[in-house]
Amino acid sequence: MTNVRVAVDIGGTFTDVCVLDETTNALHIAKVPSSRDPIDAALDGLDKAGIALSDVTLFAHGTTVATNALIERNLPHTAMVVTEGFRDVIEIGRSTKEDLWDAYRDNPPPYIRRRDRLPIAERTDSSGRVEKPIDVAEARTLAAKLRKRKYEAVAICFMNSFANMANEQALKAILEEELPGVAISTSAEVLPEIFEHDRFSTAVVNAVLHPVIGAYTLRLQERLKQGGYTSDVLLLHSGGGVMTPQGVGSQAARLASSGIAAGAIANRYIGNLCGFPNSIGFDMGGTSTDVSLVWDSQMLTTRDWHIEHGHPICFPSIDIKTIGAGGGSIAWIDEAGSLRNGPQSAGSIPGPACYGRGGENPTNTDANLVLGRLGGDLVGGNLDLDLARATAAIEQKIARPLGMDVKTAARAILNVANANTADAIRLVSIMRGYDPRDFALIAFGGAGPLHGVALATELSIPTVIVPPHPGVTSAMGCLLVDIQHDLLTTYLVDTAQADPQAIEAEFRLLEAEAHARLTKEGVAGKDIILKRTVDMRYSGQWRSLAVAVGTPFTSVQEAVDAFGAAHEREYNYRRAGAGIEIFRLNLTAVGLTPKAELARHVAVTTRPEPRAWRRVGFDDNSLETPIYWRDDLSSGTELPGPAVIQQLDSTTLVPPGATVTVDPWLNLAITV
Amino acid sequence: MTKLPALGTTLDPVTFEVLRNAFVNIVDQMAEQVRRTCYSFVVYNRDFSNALCDAEGNTVAQGNQDLAAHVGTLHYTCKAVIDEFGDDIHPGDVFLVNDPYAGGTHFNDTRVLLPIFVDGRLIAWSQANGHWADMGGSVPGSFDVSAREMFKEGIRVPPVKIWRRGEYCGDVARLVAKNTRDPDAIIGDMDAQTQATRIAEREILRLCDKYGVETIITAFAEVQDYVERAIRLRLSELPDGSWETVDFVDQDPAGQEGMIPIRVKLTIRGDEAEFDLSGSHPTIGSIYNCAFGGTFAGIVSGMKTFFPDVPLNAGLYRTVKVIVPDDTIVSARWPVAVSGFVMGFEKIMNAIFELFSALMPERAMACAFNIEYLQTGGYDARGDDRSYFMLYDWLSGGWGGRNGRDGLGVTASCFGVGLMIQPVEGQERLCPVRTDRFEIVTDSAGPGEWRGGVGLDKGGTILDVENCVFSYFCDRERSIVWGIEGGLPARPHGLWLEPPGEEARFLGAVFSNVPVHTGARFWRGTSGGGGYGDPLKRDPQRVLEDVVDDYVSVERARKDYGVVLKVIDEDLAEYEIDATATRAERRRIAAQRKCWLEEDPQQVAERFRTGQLDLYDVIRQYGVICDWGTGELLPNSTHAFRQMMKTRSVPHWADESDV
Repeated sequence: MTNVRVAVDIGGTFTDVCVLDETTNALHIAKVPSSRDPIDAALDGLDKAGIALSDVTLFAHGTTVATNALIERNLPHTAMVVTEGFRDVIEIGRSTKEDLWDAYRDNPPPYIRRRDRLPIAERTDSSGRVEKPIDVAEARTLAAKLRKRKYEAVAICFMNSFANMANEQALKAILEEELPGVAISTSAEVLPEIFEHDRFSTAVVNAVLHPVIGAYTLRLQERLKQGGYTSDVLLLHSGGGVMTPQGVGSQAARLASSGIAAGAIANRYIGNLCGFPNSIGFDMGGTSTDVSLVWDSQMLTTRDWHIEHGHPICFPSIDIKTIGAGGGSIAWIDEAGSLRNGPQSAGSIPGPACYGRGGENPTNTDANLVLGRLGGDLVGGNLDLDLARATAAIEQKIARPLGMDVKTAARAILNVANANTADAIRLVSIMRGYDPRDFALIAFGGAGPLHGVALATELSIPTVIVPPHPGVTSAMGCLLVDIQHDLLTTYLVDTAQADPQAIEAEFRLLEAEAHARLTKEGVAGKDIILKRTVDMRYSGQWRSLAVAVGTPFTSVQEAVDAFGAAHEREYNYRRAGAGIEIFRLNLTAVGLTPKAELARHVAVTTRPEPRAWRRVGFDDNSLETPIYWRDDLSSGTELPGPAVIQQLDSTTLVPPGATVTVDPWLNLAITV
Repeated sequence: MTKLPALGTTLDPVTFEVLRNAFVNIVDQMAEQVRRTCYSFVVYNRDFSNALCDAEGNTVAQGNQDLAAHVGTLHYTCKAVIDEFGDDIHPGDVFLVNDPYAGGTHFNDTRVLLPIFVDGRLIAWSQANGHWADMGGSVPGSFDVSAREMFKEGIRVPPVKIWRRGEYCGDVARLVAKNTRDPDAIIGDMDAQTQATRIAEREILRLCDKYGVETIITAFAEVQDYVERAIRLRLSELPDGSWETVDFVDQDPAGQEGMIPIRVKLTIRGDEAEFDLSGSHPTIGSIYNCAFGGTFAGIVSGMKTFFPDVPLNAGLYRTVKVIVPDDTIVSARWPVAVSGFVMGFEKIMNAIFELFSALMPERAMACAFNIEYLQTGGYDARGDDRSYFMLYDWLSGGWGGRNGRDGLGVTASCFGVGLMIQPVEGQERLCPVRTDRFEIVTDSAGPGEWRGGVGLDKGGTILDVENCVFSYFCDRERSIVWGIEGGLPARPHGLWLEPPGEEARFLGAVFSNVPVHTGARFWRGTSGGGGYGDPLKRDPQRVLEDVVDDYVSVERARKDYGVVLKVIDEDLAEYEIDATATRAERRRIAAQRKCWLEEDPQQVAERFRTGQLDLYDVIRQYGVICDWGTGELLPNSTHAFRQMMKTRSVPHWADESDV
């Protein structure tokens, strides 16, 4: 193949490679086990897909390198320089615990230990006036100490720097001079936003990741270059866009969960392709499920985001809810006699009982196998499933204690799993005022298509879409993104006093910055798209809502009206006559990149033949059910339930009463 | 492995599990709604709780992130509404109540309740409870520590209707709101809470539609039975017997010097836990009294800490028997002031930590720091418009050392671990107060083989103000955070004020309406947690690591832990353990420390005043309690404090030959 685009999504267990042939728009996939060095896995995957690097025109990449470095605290020796008297902002945090009642469950420690947090005398007041400038002599003494301690990175975090970053910049200049080669992050450059804990925490994550990501991208780019790929690597960030390695400096923290956004992007793409601007992405893997929500073709974003409790990363991030429910989730009976499901997972080792690797606990995969919803193998025959072990596990651990037969117990296990998952989806969607009947459910991940229809039924969602390659749909998301920067500035003003011209001027400043960044990354002016939003709230309220505004900004009243409507939709009410204030101005700057497009297939009328028949247990009965291979299904195919559709990376369950249509892009559209 | 009890549900296991989760999920949805739309920053920072109750008012589910101090009170409030209105409860009604004498906590915790009807039949209640920042009364924030009766504490709201058959009762709402300092925010919070109860209604109706109303009603009962079964099973695995302890509130401002005992006797009998608080002190002349609701909350929250995985509902409450005579500090009745109920609540909780630590050593924990709350109110003179400002600020601190690990550092108080502390930059923007220091304090943790978590100091300067006052709401200035199993106490709470051009003076842990002026400096700190186990048994390497991080000073490493360190390079924070000197120092301390607790307290106080002993020496080595400002001895408090150390610490100390 020549002229291909490649997306590599490096996960904990597997590295997925998704290849799009630009000439034919055909999609090829490869799945290889993740190795010690993620770069090896990426290149292995390309090898397996039969791709030469010299034929690659675009290489996009989601990676867990940064996530793992944070969780394992495998971080460079980093110092934090703070305003005297504020050494512990990142340790004090907001002082809450993730589990309120378990006094033996500790919060994860800060990314920089107390011994590495060094004070300096300086102060800026809340209005931005410098009360105490940096003393150059003190700064040089501090620099000497930092040098002696051999730090590789430094975060400079001063109080009120969001209002005036002069002191942070002054110290940065001195440290750059005194400590050549040391990566320096300042809090106001990383996140120019009020509230010291959010800003410092984000800056600290940025500081510790900068050398990690820098070294990684350098190595990756070097290896790719050796193989003949000469363009930039595009790195997926948590905001749902990509950035180039040049952008890493003040933005490394955005890669803290590179990859998590890929599934949401794929959700939006597939939804749009199938004519559903509103879609819920349901990405169920072995140990967990990621739920994403797209409304009117926009992905929901949040600033309330972290890898570990107490250490926020406040860049706008795709709002993804991860829940502990997957194929490997363990079913168990608690001491008071209730049937539970997860969050413990059998993982891949020992794995579900049916893997025959020593797992003795019944999992969702075992229940699916016992009911015949899954066949006797997984990953295209690479892994045989042991029905006897699955049956024994369910019999011993669930059926006997509850006085049920094995199949009833298997149904019970799956019903509990589906109900828990539906509750989680409810918490992210319905409660925000969205009606599930307005959505399509996009089911992917290895286990998503097995559970998709049951969930849709529970949530009254009429349509389920299963993309062509459910197991690598996330990776495909990396091929669908643009370069994106999210810029913001804290701007506090009562709407009654707000001056549209002043606001327009602030937006212009943000836009100039955005143009500069994108131009540096090689984006042409015609490919730049800028979107403005204003965060607003009722005066006295603590949470704000983002409202889209036009360019130029001319009318405060329009924004006020839009805010009222948004508040009513999201929270069921609005307050007539109450004061409204502006809190923050945001600019999303997008640099368009060429994107993948799935090939269209012409409809054929031949009806596929089942490859086999098998007895499958559905909710109310067991039926002889035709088993199809996904590759046998062509565009235009229509099948009534019951049916099971198997493929290399997933299995789709179509219960009686539902019907499947294969669309021109080979998605399965299931009418529930 | 625990033997499974008979299932005992009439619902099939799937329906049961699905509904059990759905009920909690509904309450969590209420919480999201409240948090996103509230006005009061106290509510925003998570001082709120929600519940779903059955038709009789029994709690079916509480939220995962709800505040401990509200646990075990929401069902009382719901029953109070039912008692008050009887047959006069209709679809479209919404109720408001904040009455601590009817099972509530204090006036600020105002609850909105909505009855849920199906086909004209009342099947459930949804309830949203939020701490409103101000309820009127004599001081901003409504905590006047000089109050002896409720009339200085703000507005009491017995059960009233704020919606009547779908019609908004604006008159009632305004009557409440206009008795407070921020009526707009009160109405805003009332709206937010009402909307939250409506979300629960919508969701319950959805479930009724799907499963049938009879199934839902059955599930209400069975999820309570389920929790009761789980707790009874755990209790029956504990040995039968009685255990007792005492904890103290610092003082009765209207009485003589001496700490105020709260006694807790736990009796485990089969699968039931009885808590007898007889012998606790009569009500005192301040707001630090607790009505029965707050006391019950302390008991069930203390217990819940040892069974963290069991869900919260009225099933738990049925396993507990409480005995408490009337008119004590833990059973105050109208009109005794109770807005400081949390002081008693936390003492009960910590007492229960100690009792259960003996029964379940794998979850043992020493005493935690005390909740504290500084209220500043006055006119902001920075601009021309001289607006009124209220700055309410609370801190985190250390929790007790645990069996096999150090205590949790800088964590919200056991009043409610979800209560977030506030960003300084937000406060500085809104109020004319600049924070100069906000950080962890070296040596604030109670020493132990497993030390307590660390506490904080926060201090600042008053900028341009007029008519500005401080009120401080704290405790454990004298009843200092204690250790167990040989662990040592941490440090006293209290606030220091330095008016411009004057000496700093210690105002203690409880006062109201103290005038403060532009240019005044002030600071206060929180205690670390109490230590667990003999500090002379702590691994010296751990002590060294603590010194590198400045959690412990070189000086106190020697005095509290007997670990002698050599400074190698201060720039690199490099230290080395002097093993020989450490062995000798540990032996010396072990040989002498019991005698220190017998030394004449007057002389100890004198040496404190002259600077020969510091604060930590006086408390940790000599068990002496003084007025920390003047250094004057407090003999009664000292007597009780030493008794307490002799019970909790001394019997577990190693001898000279064992260290």
